Amino acid sequence: MPAAVNGPAGQAPAGERQTSAWEPLIVAFCCNWCSYAGGDLAGTGRMEYPANVKVIRVPCSSRMNPLFIMRAFQRGADGVLVAGCHPGDCHYSSGNYHVRRRLSAFKQLLEFSGLEPQRFQVHWISSSEGDKFAAVMRSMTGEIKALGPNGKLRDRRWQSIT
Amino acid sequence: MIKSINKAGLDRLWERLAAAGPLYLPVKEGPAVLFRPWAEGAAAALDVTQATVSPKEIFFPRDETYLKFRREGEKLALAESGTPAGPAIAFGLRSCDLRAVELLDLVFRGQEPADALYGRRRENTMLVALACGQPDPSCFCGAFGINPADAPGADVMAWWDGDVLVMEARTARGEALFAAAGELLQESAAGSKPLAPATAEFGLPLEDLPERLKSRFYDPAWDRLYRGCLACGGCTYFCPTCHCFDVQDYGSQERGERFRCWDSCMFGRFTLMAGGHNPRPTQKERVRNRFLHKLQYFPENFGRFACVGCGRCLRSCPVNLDIVQAIRALGGETVEQR
Amino acid sequence: MAEHHISAAAKIRAAVAQDLLSGRISLLLGWEKGHFQWQSRPLFARDGADLERLAWDSFCAVNLSRYLPEELKENEKVGVLVKGCDSRALNRLVQDRAVPRERVVAYGLPCPGMLDAGRLVEAAGGWPDEIAEANGRVVLKGGGRESEVHRDSLLLDKCRHCLYPDPVACDQLLLAPVGNREAPDRFKAVEEREQLSAGERYAYWEKELQRCLRCYACRQICPACSCRECFVEQEQPRWLGKAYDASETFLFHLIRAYHVAGRCIDCGECERSCPVGIPLQELNRKLIKDLNALYGPYEAGLDPEREPPLLTYAPNDPAAFTEK
Repeated sequence: MPAAVNGPAGQAPAGERQTSAWEPLIVAFCCNWCSYAGGDLAGTGRMEYPANVKVIRVPCSSRMNPLFIMRAFQRGADGVLVAGCHPGDCHYSSGNYHVRRRLSAFKQLLEFSGLEPQRFQVHWISSSEGDKFAAVMRSMTGEIKALGPNGKLRDRRWQSIT
Repeated sequence: MIKSINKAGLDRLWERLAAAGPLYLPVKEGPAVLFRPWAEGAAAALDVTQATVSPKEIFFPRDETYLKFRREGEKLALAESGTPAGPAIAFGLRSCDLRAVELLDLVFRGQEPADALYGRRRENTMLVALACGQPDPSCFCGAFGINPADAPGADVMAWWDGDVLVMEARTARGEALFAAAGELLQESAAGSKPLAPATAEFGLPLEDLPERLKSRFYDPAWDRLYRGCLACGGCTYFCPTCHCFDVQDYGSQERGERFRCWDSCMFGRFTLMAGGHNPRPTQKERVRNRFLHKLQYFPENFGRFACVGCGRCLRSCPVNLDIVQAIRALGGETVEQR
Repeated sequence: MAEHHISAAAKIRAAVAQDLLSGRISLLLGWEKGHFQWQSRPLFARDGADLERLAWDSFCAVNLSRYLPEELKENEKVGVLVKGCDSRALNRLVQDRAVPRERVVAYGLPCPGMLDAGRLVEAAGGWPDEIAEANGRVVLKGGGRESEVHRDSLLLDKCRHCLYPDPVACDQLLLAPVGNREAPDRFKAVEEREQLSAGERYAYWEKELQRCLRCYACRQICPACSCRECFVEQEQPRWLGKAYDASETFLFHLIRAYHVAGRCIDCGECERSCPVGIPLQELNRKLIKDLNALYGPYEAGLDPEREPPLLTYAPNDPAAFTEK
């Protein structure tokens, strides 16, 4: 596992770094009841947000397994976002209370391992907040663009098989 | 041919030798010592008796991709991948490590079909052995007839004479190393060549051991021996003679790569069958297999013990369960020797 | 070995012998000496002859509670010697329903802290032939040399920041308590790491983790790793590949640490067991520190009735993400 294979500590593969047309890949895990519906509302309201965001619907933000996050980064994500109902509004009454604690701990652990704070974010977006959904996606895409491609936690073999 | 170099000149020697290909040296990483390709600024831990992880990973890396595949219509396109063909140098192996390479050779090269991945690395790698002046208390290579100060099979045998590293080229390849080092090496006499230092022997009853073990498969001593085992794979990974591997694919059905990677008989899934049956259902059978492999099966297959007395399992097992204990528990004449 | 240790081992033997020989317990988990003075290994004592080998000295680091779930499958009642950390491991296992407390007899051994063989070698300038202790000092003899050092300087890393050397849960205390300790530097390494830039931190962990053999000793010895099937072994889906790619090793270590977050008793057995010395406790302590700061001080394994921070919540909890 020589460091040289993946370039200096955590840099994205060279090909990706040099591409001026690089666009970030952002994976957004959205709670079925609030944030996913918020995304729908953004769509029906014809609000614009970048196509960099790939949405994955989960039944509740507390469905989030940190392994989902790790896997997304392994396989090319430049940023990962989890969006759920506002605390107090969970469809299952307490899911997001639990995930608030869990992802707080996990986010800080990711940062401790060297990931930039912007690359993993958690937001509360309700089903009526289509505008917020679009705004969050826009701001996160902007932040990740400013940071550049992510190589940290990325599987060095991923590029060669996609 | 004998040449020498002062300790102070070693960094320049590393730089020179590494120019032609990877130069593997024992390097300190945290509290551990591992064989790594030399890179500028790296200090060789030649004073450490034993690398924590054996140099087997130079010839038998932890993982190695050897095939790439891609679906093309109805066909699968295959391409070889990986193994470098260029020359490499492994510097600072101990006598026990050299014996272990001999044993790995029996497995990977000594029978048909020969293992091309191992063979290529092995053939391209020059072996520079370093004599042990002072084996540490866990070393018991003497029990297996190994001389810590002299390693048959090395291209170059090196030893310390004070601050001077004396090197004797024993093969044409070893002389090529001298040529590559050029003026950095001085003509030299043998100096005070180290005598064979004594190692611990732990009074191991090795004579006829493989024969005696044949009747100990169901011995209750196994039941006592295995209990403390954590079922981690540490021993099999730092052991210089363990060589089990798994073959795995990475990617999708459309394209991907096939690699082999270290595996360990200490893991429960190692023998798990597709139908759910596991012929080694508990840690007892796994521990028994590991030790019998070293002490009975390998001798039966190749006429040699698959232990070289390097002492790594005595030093690094988190619960101090090691092969000396196994030989003592099962090698004696009495049934309940602990 | 120091005098008080010899007599202590005899005292322990006498105290547990009655229970073992009377059949109150059918197995005692203790320690016996390994090949060298600086080694001990787990002892599974079933009779008086086994007990003769029982040892208690400065090298009994292995956490024995970890063996309880397995041994309770074959024994109705098991006795176990517990140091401070081992007793919290017992609480951990009881709280995780991995061990029924009533089937365990825990004999408490207040612990002066265990010594590190590597530090002995450093201090003695080679492997010592003889290690003697008296009054908080250790005399090392070997190779014609003799050195005397302060005992604290030889402690295992896992013992340096120990807060509870006395067992917090046992049925019988066999030796005199040593008293709680202070550990002002417990989070120092974590805090220093936090000061670095993200890139420096990643480079640090990449370097530390690249020597990981993936032997899983850290997981195997952990009293908080109590899943029947670890994600590492799961096939559907296969979370962790077997290649030694940096990303796979990061994934394993981050998820391992996270899976015991809030339940880690900070015994440091993971780091002690690591054959290549990866500073795993830094990951565990990072989580302990953050959870304490966010959701109130909590020491896992102290009180089996108090819920770990990630198993509960409060409606007005703070969050560590940008949005509150």
